[in-house]
Amino acid sequence: MPPYYEIFVRLVAPYHAVLVHFPVAIWTTVALLVFFRAVSDSPLARAGDRILVPILILSVVCAVAAYLSGFMIFPLEAAGTSPLIRNHIVTASWSLAYWMAFLVTRWINGETVWQGPKRWVMLGLALLGTIQIAITGALGGHIAGTPTSMSQVLQWLGWDVYHTFFVPDIILWLMAGAIIALPVLGWWGRRHPG
Amino acid sequence: MTRRILMISNIIFVVVLIAAWFTNGMGIIRNDVARNIYIPDELIMPLQVKAAYNDGEIFFRYRWPAQKPHIYHDMLKYENGKWVRYGASVAGPQPQGIYEDRVAMLVDDGSVPEFGRYGGYITVGDRMRFFTSEAPTEEVSAHPYLGAKKGQAEVGKHLPATRRDINDWSSVVSEEELSRLRAAGYFLDLWHWRAHRSNPIGKSDDQFVAEARYGDSGKGPFFTNWSAQTKQPLLMFDPQKTGRYALKWSDLAETKLGFDDLYFLREDQAAPFDPNLQWKEGDTIPRRVLRMGEGSRADISVAGKAEWREGFWDVTLVRAMDTGRPLEDKAMVDKGFYTVAFSVHRAASGSRWHYVSLPVSLGLDREAEIIAVPIDGQEPRWEQPWSDVTLFYPGQVSWPSLISSRHAGASFIKEGVPARFRHSERQLARYGVEAEFADEIRRQWLLTMIGGILFIAAYTVAMNLLFWRKRI
Repeated sequence: MPPYYEIFVRLVAPYHAVLVHFPVAIWTTVALLVFFRAVSDSPLARAGDRILVPILILSVVCAVAAYLSGFMIFPLEAAGTSPLIRNHIVTASWSLAYWMAFLVTRWINGETVWQGPKRWVMLGLALLGTIQIAITGALGGHIAGTPTSMSQVLQWLGWDVYHTFFVPDIILWLMAGAIIALPVLGWWGRRHPG
Repeated sequence: MTRRILMISNIIFVVVLIAAWFTNGMGIIRNDVARNIYIPDELIMPLQVKAAYNDGEIFFRYRWPAQKPHIYHDMLKYENGKWVRYGASVAGPQPQGIYEDRVAMLVDDGSVPEFGRYGGYITVGDRMRFFTSEAPTEEVSAHPYLGAKKGQAEVGKHLPATRRDINDWSSVVSEEELSRLRAAGYFLDLWHWRAHRSNPIGKSDDQFVAEARYGDSGKGPFFTNWSAQTKQPLLMFDPQKTGRYALKWSDLAETKLGFDDLYFLREDQAAPFDPNLQWKEGDTIPRRVLRMGEGSRADISVAGKAEWREGFWDVTLVRAMDTGRPLEDKAMVDKGFYTVAFSVHRAASGSRWHYVSLPVSLGLDREAEIIAVPIDGQEPRWEQPWSDVTLFYPGQVSWPSLISSRHAGASFIKEGVPARFRHSERQLARYGVEAEFADEIRRQWLLTMIGGILFIAAYTVAMNLLFWRKRI
């Protein structure tokens, strides 16, 4: 490793623990605003909705910074070998994906996302993003040496966090099918409104 | 239509998520004995320990659960005119159940400092026997010191400082260096009780781990009953003393022989093998012959009777506090403080298919995880409570891998942070299993992560297409 990169890594890595607080805090707040907006059309709920896009942009920027700094804590070889770190990477990646999906959808579609059943889709996305970030945070605590009882809850639900999260080939094929089918369905629905 | 497609898309999304959640961890971890991989059904088990001592002797009592006792081991069965071996070490349980139960204890007095923090992990070196990457027998036998001089045929337990390069099992330091290390106490004492190869005569093997695992000097409690030249046993049962020439295979297969029956061959009950007898199909002779042993290797005995009763083994071992052999045994003294680590073999499994503990402190009438109580008489009354120890299946985790860049905790090891501070036994068992499938799991994990991201992206595209149309 070149010395300047090593210095950079040493400077940045400790800030992972600081940086992760920003997306966690923002996404938790956003989840509350989304819940409020999903069940209410009141002026206050609408006012909350209006700040979603800017704070979600901020959260995604912070999350990307936290995500990248996380890779500097351990050597990549070790990160790819440790089940806890692998799981942390998976849930962090999916947290970011969910919240980016939420941001993109809200940004493109504006306030119409709260019309009809679409509001429940938005609430579902926010819920999944919140669950993911909660698990990510709990795993981060484990890695840092401060485990919580969240891992017991997950074990009760069917996942031992000391076991790398992966799915069998058949589920990967199922996912691949869904990856193709979902946009096709979306395109089909767009072509055949009514 | 849009609303219906929205619902279908949501159903697809939720179904895939639920399927992924409930199938996580499946599809990779499976037994593969060709690669020395066999994962036990249970990954952790309990062990209870008590210790006591008087002026001359120290006693350890062990109790652990086992569905049934395995007291048969390594047999020669007469089959189609030949003597065929059953009960050699194999990956996982021996198919006929011919493999003995065991309990072992590594002991140190502080001379091997890493042992107090990482226990038996420090003895697991490069390309160990029964690892997927095990060194071939020919290679080990050809090693000028371990093979030619010490008669080793496999890479067994050894301590880190006995190698110039810990990543190379063959890089043994000079003999002079080994002697100096041993003189400084750089070895682990190993108490090794076996349900067949020592228990019937009330003995335990006494061994130690240095640059390899050795028996102490003297004679061990068993020797091998096989002539490679004639491909026949050397000894058989003496019919005048035992009323038979051999055991019946059917008695072993149906586990008809219990603790009070003759299921083992003792040297004083054996006679030279007679190849001219009318040997019948299924005649069986133990491939190990028991003897009382001599010298340092016979230092440890069974106190009372070690038996399995109502689902539990109960074994008590006794040894002199100080055997007077400082190069092979760790002497114990009143108020002394030691580190011990345990292992149990059960369910007819041998070699590395055992359950091990993290290091446990032992104090002789001194605060520790296990406190040995002083006694006045010859035998302990065992009135103190048990000390509970959790054992776990260690998988294929070696010391070289733990101190390498592959281990996220390598820097903590460098700083001397004990394993227990960061890891529970349940966690270590899981990690041990994953280490056996490291490459496959890493690949599947990456595919799962990327697949998940693309799946979320595909769902987002679908939603936006559907939402966008509705907006118009």
